[in-house]
Amino acid sequence: MNRFFGMLLVIAATLAGLVLLSAGFYLAAGWLGWGFNALTGWISGSPGVSRAAVYYGASVANVVTLLLVVLMISSSLLTVAERKWSALIQNRIGANRIKVFGSALGGIPFLAADALKMLTKERIETTGRTRVLYELAPMLAFAPVFALFAIIPVGQGIELNQIPGLAGAAAAGAVEQIALQVSRTDTGLLYLFAIASLQVYGTALAGWASNNKLALLGGVRASSQMISYEVSLGLSLVGTMIAYRTLRLEEMVVAQGTPVLGPVPALGLLLQPIGFLIFFASAFAETKRAPFDLPEGESEIVGYFVEYSGMKFGLLFLAEFAEIVVLAGVITAVFLGGWHPILFEGWLRQNLTPFWFAAVGAGAFIAKMIVMMWLQLTIRWLLPRFRFDQIQKLCWKLLLPAALVNVFVTGGALLLDPSGQLLAWIGILTIVVIAVLTAAVGRAPAPAAGHGAAHAAAGH
Amino acid sequence: MPYQLENRPPDLRESMYFPEIIRGIGTITKHFLKNLFFSRDANPDILARKRGGFGHSDNVTLQYPEERAPYAPAYRGLHRLVPREDGKPRCVACYMCATICPAQCIYIEAAEYPDDPVEKYPAKFVIDELRCIVCGFCVEACPKDAIRMDSGEHTPPSYERSAQIWDEKRLLRGPPVSYQYDPWLRRGSPSIPPDKLEEMRARAKPFPTVATDEASQTPGFSVRALAAEAKDRAQAARK
Repeated sequence: MNRFFGMLLVIAATLAGLVLLSAGFYLAAGWLGWGFNALTGWISGSPGVSRAAVYYGASVANVVTLLLVVLMISSSLLTVAERKWSALIQNRIGANRIKVFGSALGGIPFLAADALKMLTKERIETTGRTRVLYELAPMLAFAPVFALFAIIPVGQGIELNQIPGLAGAAAAGAVEQIALQVSRTDTGLLYLFAIASLQVYGTALAGWASNNKLALLGGVRASSQMISYEVSLGLSLVGTMIAYRTLRLEEMVVAQGTPVLGPVPALGLLLQPIGFLIFFASAFAETKRAPFDLPEGESEIVGYFVEYSGMKFGLLFLAEFAEIVVLAGVITAVFLGGWHPILFEGWLRQNLTPFWFAAVGAGAFIAKMIVMMWLQLTIRWLLPRFRFDQIQKLCWKLLLPAALVNVFVTGGALLLDPSGQLLAWIGILTIVVIAVLTAAVGRAPAPAAGHGAAHAAAGH
Repeated sequence: MPYQLENRPPDLRESMYFPEIIRGIGTITKHFLKNLFFSRDANPDILARKRGGFGHSDNVTLQYPEERAPYAPAYRGLHRLVPREDGKPRCVACYMCATICPAQCIYIEAAEYPDDPVEKYPAKFVIDELRCIVCGFCVEACPKDAIRMDSGEHTPPSYERSAQIWDEKRLLRGPPVSYQYDPWLRRGSPSIPPDKLEEMRARAKPFPTVATDEASQTPGFSVRALAAEAKDRAQAARK
């Protein structure tokens, strides 16, 4: 029971820590934005408030806090979490032999050991490789993931003068709002599709430039798989674009806070359950992890990274985990209500200052992201891998038609009822159908262990 | 228990993948939460460990160097030559063990006590532990209960093969044992001082008829203690 209460305490402390962390992020964005404004004013000799300067300063702060802290730290922690969580799933203990002051600290010190190992390993470079492409591939695998996280709206926008210490900075509306989002572009989801389709170059080039047949096979498999799933990935989000009438992720999040059926907010999960499932499956295939880990296969081809060693392999390896984080971020923003803390939202909004409400929201976003990362790791340990033809069949024969139907149903429902209530009812109906299908027993249960079963056993 | 699965194509629900996957996530989550929130039963005996129910994790891991599973009472460990109370081996160099040994790993050279015209003793008693197949036949064959495998130890590793050849000096160890029917106790022996003989006779006991009694004499291992522990555990669980 001690562990039970300890775990509750850890979870509560984690949530509180996320809120405090987000508050720190807002402070950094606000202060750096204001400082940037003061600096440009001093250089150009014209004191005053510049919209662009505040926006750029806040963006620089967000690059550091969101990309380097949230994305990098959580993707490196995921390498430990994969071991620890899989151990919990499989009734094991998991990595616990590195102890700091007698405590294994949940295996987190393994992060340092892994990094040290990757950085100090011998670099082995094959002679037949294509030098430029070979060196370029790990960067190309990693950079798009990094760029993808730039449009994830982790925190809502608040006015500059609502940030503690900056009350007299600029009147509301005078400058851009401070948000925990590196870049607020009009293109939004289109940018997401464009950058996501760049990911395939890293793996394809890694396989091709290594001058190794097995690596080439891995690269070719990666290309065909990722290009196929890009189609259903794109189509699955078209429904949400129609439903929220915008491409911008931050506007989608705001739209998800509005109630649609009584007090129930218009979550993406509610309006687009089919879109959610298709997007999740397609994006999972894009991350190239089990059950879609065809580009790597220890038993047949080793993988597209077979000729990489040391930190170059580490970068390819870390890119997969960073993709998990980005996928979790996109799903949270598009389907799970983004920074809306859903529970007690009205009460929180009334009783907290805008700054702290935004911090709570950003903490809720990161907490939802953690749940989605956990879900992805769980599925990775749940399923065996698909065969290659099954992967293609799943994409072209199941996900793609379902996505097309989803687009037309969404469009039709919104044409009939622009308020979205019809769409919400259709979503609820879909969820009920899926729940019934899940609860219904499919296969006949195993025969009871008795004499009859023993006769059925081979060799009896 | 293996059973035959009907070989049929997946039905509609299975070919939709998602319902089955959601069910699988449910199963996995149950294990995850149970193992996350509840701690392992610290009992190193995995079979007796409480697990699975509410309040206990499903974990079966044994943290090996720190926790060790107790060996079964019948565990055949490293041989030992059982000493008498006066420190001499009970062995009378009858060659029974060397004869029955299927691996032929026992070498004995018999000798006689200079002052005792009846008893023999092994001048050399060598077991090649590398050849030993740990069958326990030598223990069964011994008419004097002079060789046992009740030490509860593994053969310790070594860098030289020669260190695995155990002679009588290394084999003769562990608690001494005396039985009332021992001939040297009944008729006396010039090689045993009279007062020592009295002490040995006093400590002699009838030959055991219950197998566990023998194992209970193993140093550092006791079936009775284990049984008592299990009883305590059961009582604690009932409360």
